[in-house]
Amino acid sequence: MKKTKLGEFEELVLLTVATLQEEAYGVEIKRELEERLKEKLSVGSIQSALKRMEEKGFLTSEFGEATQKRGGKRKRIYTATPYAHRILAELKDIRARLWNSIPQLTPQLKAI
Amino acid sequence: MIQPNGINPPKWPLKFLRFFVKKKYLEEIEGDMEELFRENAEQLSLHKAKRIYTWEILKLFRPILIKNLEVLQHLNRYPMFKSYFKVSLRGLLKNPVNSFINVFGLALAIGTCVFAYAFARWTFSRDQFHEHKNEVHLVTFLADRDGTLQQYGKTPRPLGEMLKEDFAQIKKVCRVEDRNVVIKYGDNVFHERVRFTDPEFLEMFTFPLKWGTMGSLKDVNSIILSEDMSIKYFGEENPIGQSMLMIFDKNRSKEFKVTGVAKEFPKSRTISFNFLINFENFRTSDPGYNFHDWKAFVSATLIQVGNPSELETIEKGMEKYRILQNKAVEEDWAISSFAFEPLATLHKSSEYIRDDISRSSKNDYISIVFMVVIAVFLLALACFNYINIAIATAAKRLKEIGIRKSIGATRKTVIVQFLSENIVITFFALIIGLILGYTFFIPGFELLWDFSMDFRIDDAALWIFLPAILLFTSIASGIYPSLYISKFQVVNILKGSVKFGQKNPLTKVFLGFQLIMSCIFITCSVLFTLNNSYLAKRPWGYNQAETLYANVPDQAAYQELSALMAQHPDVLSISGSSHHIGKSHATAILHFSDREYEVDQLSVDATYFETMGVQLKEGRGFKDHDGSDKQAVVVNELLVKNMAWKNPVGQQFRIDSIQYEVVGVVKDFHDYSFSKLVRPIIFTVADKEDYRYLSMKVKRGSEIKTHKALQANWAKLFPEIPFEGGHQEDVWGFYYEEIGIYDLVWKVFAFIAVSLATLGLYGLIRLNVEGRTKEFSIRKVLGAGLKDIAASIISQYMILFAVALTIGAPLGYIAGKRLIEFANVYHMPITFSPVMIAVVIMVLVLFITVSIQIIKVIKANPVDGLKVE
Repeated sequence: MKKTKLGEFEELVLLTVATLQEEAYGVEIKRELEERLKEKLSVGSIQSALKRMEEKGFLTSEFGEATQKRGGKRKRIYTATPYAHRILAELKDIRARLWNSIPQLTPQLKAI
Repeated sequence: MIQPNGINPPKWPLKFLRFFVKKKYLEEIEGDMEELFRENAEQLSLHKAKRIYTWEILKLFRPILIKNLEVLQHLNRYPMFKSYFKVSLRGLLKNPVNSFINVFGLALAIGTCVFAYAFARWTFSRDQFHEHKNEVHLVTFLADRDGTLQQYGKTPRPLGEMLKEDFAQIKKVCRVEDRNVVIKYGDNVFHERVRFTDPEFLEMFTFPLKWGTMGSLKDVNSIILSEDMSIKYFGEENPIGQSMLMIFDKNRSKEFKVTGVAKEFPKSRTISFNFLINFENFRTSDPGYNFHDWKAFVSATLIQVGNPSELETIEKGMEKYRILQNKAVEEDWAISSFAFEPLATLHKSSEYIRDDISRSSKNDYISIVFMVVIAVFLLALACFNYINIAIATAAKRLKEIGIRKSIGATRKTVIVQFLSENIVITFFALIIGLILGYTFFIPGFELLWDFSMDFRIDDAALWIFLPAILLFTSIASGIYPSLYISKFQVVNILKGSVKFGQKNPLTKVFLGFQLIMSCIFITCSVLFTLNNSYLAKRPWGYNQAETLYANVPDQAAYQELSALMAQHPDVLSISGSSHHIGKSHATAILHFSDREYEVDQLSVDATYFETMGVQLKEGRGFKDHDGSDKQAVVVNELLVKNMAWKNPVGQQFRIDSIQYEVVGVVKDFHDYSFSKLVRPIIFTVADKEDYRYLSMKVKRGSEIKTHKALQANWAKLFPEIPFEGGHQEDVWGFYYEEIGIYDLVWKVFAFIAVSLATLGLYGLIRLNVEGRTKEFSIRKVLGAGLKDIAASIISQYMILFAVALTIGAPLGYIAGKRLIEFANVYHMPITFSPVMIAVVIMVLVLFITVSIQIIKVIKANPVDGLKVE
């Protein structure tokens, strides 16, 4: 687990990339995540998370189409690697198991 | 691509983005940004979209997206740096004069930095060695005096014992009180100051013992010595078990047994002791000492709590003591609350606490600010020298840079090369600077002020500070030259079409700045010197030169001594007093019908004014017969002025419950040194039983002789008591020493600043002249004389000198004036003459520096000059 070093925010971005599939480029990721989190995000935070994850091997990327509204600049489409999918699944699993092992949650809540 | 509808992102953020973002990411991010911008422009407004765009770009400035941050880490550059190191060393050896200017200049500045560091560390570490510094607190009280709330460090006597009983949170309490005694050991007698305290003192303060046990202080017959005192009385031997006779006064004395000797105290402290004895000894030394008297005070009461947060609870419980206290004392001395001051910060808060046992560090903190400012300025001066010389000598290294670049060095590697060279030079300077600081600045300063900063070379923080200085200095001095030199194109360099170096305008700006700084430093130093001679001549307002004084233990001693001295032919008059100008005074509160006013009070006899040369301005002095003038006071001019009395004589007021009337006014005189304002003073008639001082006016020229006679008579009368007293002039003699030291320190700084500037100027002119050897040779061959050569060298610098002096002189005037006003309460009227002196010195220095080069050119043989390639 330690080696994977996937931050909380990075994980969210990674999941978004996986969700968006072919549409996963900077602005779209930002839009999607902002909608889901219901808060404003900066381009810088998204970009640095993407680049970091690319360095760590969670993401690959290639240039996509260029559009008029981008001033003729190409998009970069991100794809989650199989490795990333595996780590995400592992994380989900660990979380689920942890949740399952909190059976006393309700009685305690009642006590409060 | 420009959009037809004219909606475009703002230009400069885009430029910035293109500047810093890694190339491979640029297209994507630029596109994203533009897409977002358009979206925002449609949904919000163009203005808002632009603002968001700019802000987002600034937020993109992150390590992972910035260009080239990783380049340096990838290559193994060891051999390259080795070569740079070699080149730097060769460069240093090739130009010894330039190297000297650079290294020595930087070393001087770094030496000053090391010194400033040592001083700051010494100040910051004050009293920090106490283990319980956060738990031990001084008990203080606040009281309303003349309308302002004043904090006092003393406490009512019974408070300490009651606190211990009443509060479970208070772990330990100790009272501290000092008394002057005479200690007799063998045949020697000494005046000493002894600390009466509770046994907890040694547990609350961290003063470990070298010999003996701490608990022994519980025994009323034990005495614990400081290391200094142990050496003074017993040498290096272990004195445990020895006995010392302590003489409290004429009738009372007691034998104590040494049961402990403290280890050497840490250097930076405000509280320590010479002798410790149990507080209970007051029962022996002073039977009148009432432990339960709320009216009387003890110098200090300290408490130790388990947890500082418990103080709040204790503070709340202090109310009952306030009531007790205010019932006991008269209305004047009513207090408004108690407060606790932690030991850890007592040396800082001490400035605002009256009568506390600590000492204020305020002056030291001010000094730190001064030193840091001066160190930074000197460092700047030295860096400017380096930059100027580096730029001027760059021409000589153009070929090297050209070749390096053509065989594959990028601009970056050239910058790295120059910076690493710089680190080498600064490193040498650092070593020399450290040595200078360690062997010269710090010991010199310690010697001047007679204290020890306890500066240690194995101090861990120092080894963080030094590399920081190294890095800062080398980058500050090296970044501009390296950027400047690496800028040139290879082709131009190798073609030889690049001409630069001597004409860089920045060089002149730096040189100008150096000259301005020097001008300011010289002005300040001249001002200090002049002011000191002014203060040396400033009248004290009374006759200091022909007066002698002696402390006497009691009235009987006074009678005997004055009877003997009266027979001396050179003694003109003798006076007795319970206080003495410059030595002691009491504090009194004057009550008027509508207000109260605090003044200093001196109780004297009828002839005191004549003896001391205090001049009567109005009314009369005291009458000379027993019991007269008991309710008369003589006041000083300042009190009359502050009270706005038109007819001071006849004014009345109350002190405690006695009515007094003003009978005379004396001219203002300095009771304290010139570093404090004259205070309002009243004189009253002293009871004969209270005489503690004998003062004498002697014939001019006989001061030393009479002083000897006085000492001889004393020794005859009181062989058991050491003589205390001397020339009235010596009372504030150390004040002149002190201001003399300030003067010296300024001179040293001024000297360093001027030498740095001169070195820089010398280096620059030398390079300039060397570069023009051929020109001068041709001029000389064609018949140019001294005048022409001098003119052609000076003309380049004339305007610079003029500008620097016109800016520097007024700045020096303003800075000097501020400084003098800040450092002195009384100072000379500040005129422009010190500035003129400073300007003359500057012009002289500049003239000499330039002349040396001119003479060199004049003496050189034009043939040699023309042969130079």
